[in-house]
Amino acid sequence: MPFYWILPVLLVIAAVGYVLGRGRAMRSADGDARNLHSLPNYYGVHAVIAGLVPAALLLAAWAVVQPIVVDTWVSQSISESRMQEAGSRGLAMSEVRRLAAGLETAVERGAITAERARSASQSMDIDDLREAVSGAGIALTGNIAPETLENAQRYNRISAVGSAIKTVLVLLLSLAGTAYAVSQTTKEFRARKSVEHGVMALLIGAACLAIFTTIGIVLSLIFNTIEFLRLYPAMDFFFGTTWSPSFTGRGGASQLGILPLLWGTFYISLVALLVAVPIGLFAAIYLSEYASKPVRGIAKPLLEILAGIPTIVYGLFALLTVGPLLVSTFGDDGWLGVDWMDGGTAVMTAGLVMGIMLIPFVSSLSDDIINSVPQAMRDGSLGLGATHSETVRQVVMPAALPGIVGAVLLAASRAIGETMIVVLGAGAAAQISGNPFESMTTVTAKIVSQLTGDADFNSPEALVAFALGMTLFVFTLGLNVVALYIVRKYREELE
Amino acid sequence: MNQETAVRNDRDTTSHLPNNQIKVSARKVQVYYGDTHAIKDVDVDIEDRNVTAFIGPSGCGKSTFLRCINRMNDTIPIARVEGQILIDDEDIYDKRIDPVQLRAKVGMVFQKPNPFPKSIYDNVAYGPKIHGLAKNKSELNDIVEKSLRRAALWNEVKDRLQLPGTGLSGGQQQRLCIARAIATEPEILLMDEPCSALDPIATDQVEELIRELKGNYSVVIVTHSMQQAHRVSQKTAFFHLGNLVEYDDTETIFKNPKDERTESYITGRIG
Amino acid sequence: MTDAPATIADASASRSKGSLLEKDARTKKRNAAETRFKAYGIIAIGIGLAFLAALVFSIVRNGVPAFTQTYVTVPITLEAETLDPEGNRDPADISGVMTFAYSPLIQQGLQSALEEADVETDMSASDLTKMLSSSAENTVRQRVVSNPDLIGETEEFRLLASSRVDGYLKGRVERADLERDRNLDAAHLDIVDQLQEAGVVSRTFNMDFILGTDASDNRPEQAGIGASMLGSFFMMLVVLALALPIGVAASIYLEEFAPKNKFTDLIEVNISNLAAVPSIVFGILGLAAFIQFAGLPQSAPLVGGLVLTLMTLPTIIISTRASLKSVPPSIRDAALGVGASPMQAVFHHVLPLAAPGILTGTIIGLAQALGETAPLLLIGMVGFIASNYPEGVASGFLDPNSAMPAQIYEWAKRADPAFYERAWGGIIILLVFLLSMNLLAIILRRRFERRW
Repeated sequence: MPFYWILPVLLVIAAVGYVLGRGRAMRSADGDARNLHSLPNYYGVHAVIAGLVPAALLLAAWAVVQPIVVDTWVSQSISESRMQEAGSRGLAMSEVRRLAAGLETAVERGAITAERARSASQSMDIDDLREAVSGAGIALTGNIAPETLENAQRYNRISAVGSAIKTVLVLLLSLAGTAYAVSQTTKEFRARKSVEHGVMALLIGAACLAIFTTIGIVLSLIFNTIEFLRLYPAMDFFFGTTWSPSFTGRGGASQLGILPLLWGTFYISLVALLVAVPIGLFAAIYLSEYASKPVRGIAKPLLEILAGIPTIVYGLFALLTVGPLLVSTFGDDGWLGVDWMDGGTAVMTAGLVMGIMLIPFVSSLSDDIINSVPQAMRDGSLGLGATHSETVRQVVMPAALPGIVGAVLLAASRAIGETMIVVLGAGAAAQISGNPFESMTTVTAKIVSQLTGDADFNSPEALVAFALGMTLFVFTLGLNVVALYIVRKYREELE
Repeated sequence: MNQETAVRNDRDTTSHLPNNQIKVSARKVQVYYGDTHAIKDVDVDIEDRNVTAFIGPSGCGKSTFLRCINRMNDTIPIARVEGQILIDDEDIYDKRIDPVQLRAKVGMVFQKPNPFPKSIYDNVAYGPKIHGLAKNKSELNDIVEKSLRRAALWNEVKDRLQLPGTGLSGGQQQRLCIARAIATEPEILLMDEPCSALDPIATDQVEELIRELKGNYSVVIVTHSMQQAHRVSQKTAFFHLGNLVEYDDTETIFKNPKDERTESYITGRIG
Repeated sequence: MTDAPATIADASASRSKGSLLEKDARTKKRNAAETRFKAYGIIAIGIGLAFLAALVFSIVRNGVPAFTQTYVTVPITLEAETLDPEGNRDPADISGVMTFAYSPLIQQGLQSALEEADVETDMSASDLTKMLSSSAENTVRQRVVSNPDLIGETEEFRLLASSRVDGYLKGRVERADLERDRNLDAAHLDIVDQLQEAGVVSRTFNMDFILGTDASDNRPEQAGIGASMLGSFFMMLVVLALALPIGVAASIYLEEFAPKNKFTDLIEVNISNLAAVPSIVFGILGLAAFIQFAGLPQSAPLVGGLVLTLMTLPTIIISTRASLKSVPPSIRDAALGVGASPMQAVFHHVLPLAAPGILTGTIIGLAQALGETAPLLLIGMVGFIASNYPEGVASGFLDPNSAMPAQIYEWAKRADPAFYERAWGGIIILLVFLLSMNLLAIILRRRFERRW
């Protein structure tokens, strides 16, 4: 609860600071704003910044650090025997955390009294307590060991103390900041400079968020991947040809080889590119070289609608329209009379639909690139008596080639990272096969299936998703970097 | 008065190269860019094996008219051409004319050197290849060599035919473009300010080349520089605001212009 | 050999060309190739547009039925001795009566409806109620609990027909399909036919689909997208509140103030790479950073909004920078010239001028976020969770909920094909939102577009 209170209190302090800062400045200028170095509002804002920013930073830092500190503290008191029962210190600790959170919520909802949550001990009926907690809508699994209960209570106690200290420190810091800023305020004080420094810091901070996001992605992938590789041999992961996770969550019988997933990813992306690249490229050539203005004005936005449609729509289209259509063509009783396809979900289904999705991606990138080929080159070729198509094929295309290669690589990266279409359209069978009418699965689809559901986050079956994510991230990042480099290089060459 | 001067044609020029045939003959040519009337009532006769210069201030329509002669204006959607242009007595705006075939006969060199992003060899071989002028590889080699020699570039590039054409200097690039144009064996060569992007030395080389080319082709050159027109051409046409003001022997135009606008331009008062 | 001598002979040799008025064979061949090439382009565009048309057609054809629903109008006598055994009309006692007590009443009502419509059948009463949704008892009970005065009266109830009956009326279910069906026989359908003629069974517009909550696996006829629509709404609030200010701040720094150095380059490279990182990776980030590490609640729209914010930021930054760039330097110079600080110049003059462009970019970024599914699956916003409306603003942000695209995915995964219709219908609603957002962006752009 206190957290919800800190913010309004901080805002009140800031408001008071604004009034005091502005007032003091005006007084020191004998009530005439022209005597001030900066506009009066800047003095107020200066006090607000001094009151809010350091306090908010402390608040954020505390929110990150406190759980770590409390965790380490409490986890030291977990006994050996408990650790063995739960499997590892981490698992035992997560039980503690879950119970601690359960107790908190139960108290909040009035299912048990705060007193009871604090003092319940092994002498009391633990089952009774669990029932009360579950009654409040928090499911607790397994038996609660007395030690776990004790640790959970301890966890809550330390957290409460920490929060109290945090509240006091944050408020003190805010008051001190405001007081300092107000005391600084004289008519000579360069409030605008100081405020602008503050604003600039905010702007830089916002720009740095991109870096933090990348770091966040890399860290969350790396730590969990390392954790996974500790539980599962790296060789089996990278070179295993069988993917069959056990469903129990903790069984050692899982085989988690990435090769079938990579093959599925590669195969589906290949089909998608085989659809998207020729269609997209020819559409781009026609639109930029031949189409009259009205045709271009209609066809181009219509094609680009395909790019704005959410992938879930394509997924559904694959599962419910394209899949059955393909089966009725290539399936057992299909009108082609060939029995190639058993189920609607297949490499072909997902690849075809993904290809449709990528058409506008390829065509608008290629369109840009073809348009950036200088007109002088076309004139040179036409002036020699080349037909338009000869000009396109022999002069424009070779000149645009690097850019188009870049565009295709970007499309490939998009295909590899696409999730919804393959989750719904490609099927779930992880296999290495050459038949495009068979069901296969991809890295992204397996990330989804391993991380949804109630799998234990510390089991290899769940952690493998992070290793898959890492692989995906590295692949797409590589493709993107190469593609962007090629495209940029190409632009520079033409200019 | 416009009409009067414009209609005057080469019958006056008894003094100069009397046996030259008329290669291109334009009558009442109008060009519209959308609503703008860019070329008005141009009548002109261009001789074979001679250099004709088009001069005039910027925007006077000289380049536009030049582009009519090989129908390059077809590539601009809003451009519309009326009137008649005859090459060897055939109307090139006739429906049966294929601009592709026409442009093989009427080559063009552009303001800025625009070599293709290919090797020097492929640049020159491009035209012969698309028009099927060579039966085999060795014939093609001959055409390339011959064209480069005629463009006075052979000695400079014979050792690096496989290097990209874009790697040459500006003057070399423009001569490469000329070689590329003459490789398709045109009869008329149109040059749209071919030296405007070149330094004086390169300009000198290209002008020298133009003087040589005159022996085989009907060369039409658009130029900003009156000195250049004077140096390379036998006939000169002066364009102003879309009108052909005066067309005569170069000597006459420069020494004894009949129209006062021509005189003003020559003496530097307009332009 | 010098360059000159070769020329004259060659030139005269080349003078023997034919008339331009006749096309030679080669030109004909080349023109044919030209026509073919052009045709390829037209075919490619045709295929693309055909795909678009197929997509739209299949959405409309499969999705429109979700907006109508089959109801059965049943007169039910609300017997006092069953529903209010104490006879005191005490709401507490009435709500103590469980749903199964209502079953016989509904059975009787259905039989009397059949009699009224002159339908004869030897089917048992409990068999007949299979035509109704299993939510029927609950519907009746809720109405009685909220209005105890009805007890003792005979009331007309519009009850949801079961999804099989609904599917039959919509042409999705045919008699042959029911041979192995445990819930409904072909005989039921004969009755439905007669009841429809009598006006007892009817299809009407289905507001509950648009506003309702998700329903469990065996009640597809009751499922609605309303709750997950709220989930999406709260997520979009988070995205708007975070992505717009952060995106604008980052863009202002990069476009107006950032010096050209390694650090700025690093930020730029990061932004362009983040724009191309697969969305599922953002889901992994959300799971690891917001749920595992920061301990935020799973399945909460707040977390979904945070993840989508990070995902949308590059889009917003790129478009905001473009609109800042389009404000000509002369405006900045003018402001600096009258003594404004660089920051005042940006905030007082450049930013207001760039605002329409920024807004357009933001709307398009929001539209992109609204349709995103994959990251939401990883942070648990999928499953049978959009079954209740949030109770308030805090609950809207923090309580488990789904979002429109995740709800559509959830329906697409379920076994009963009746849910597919809901999924397509959900897509229509989602696309209506996206279309309006994009239209708004286009209108804004047209309205405020400035040419310098």
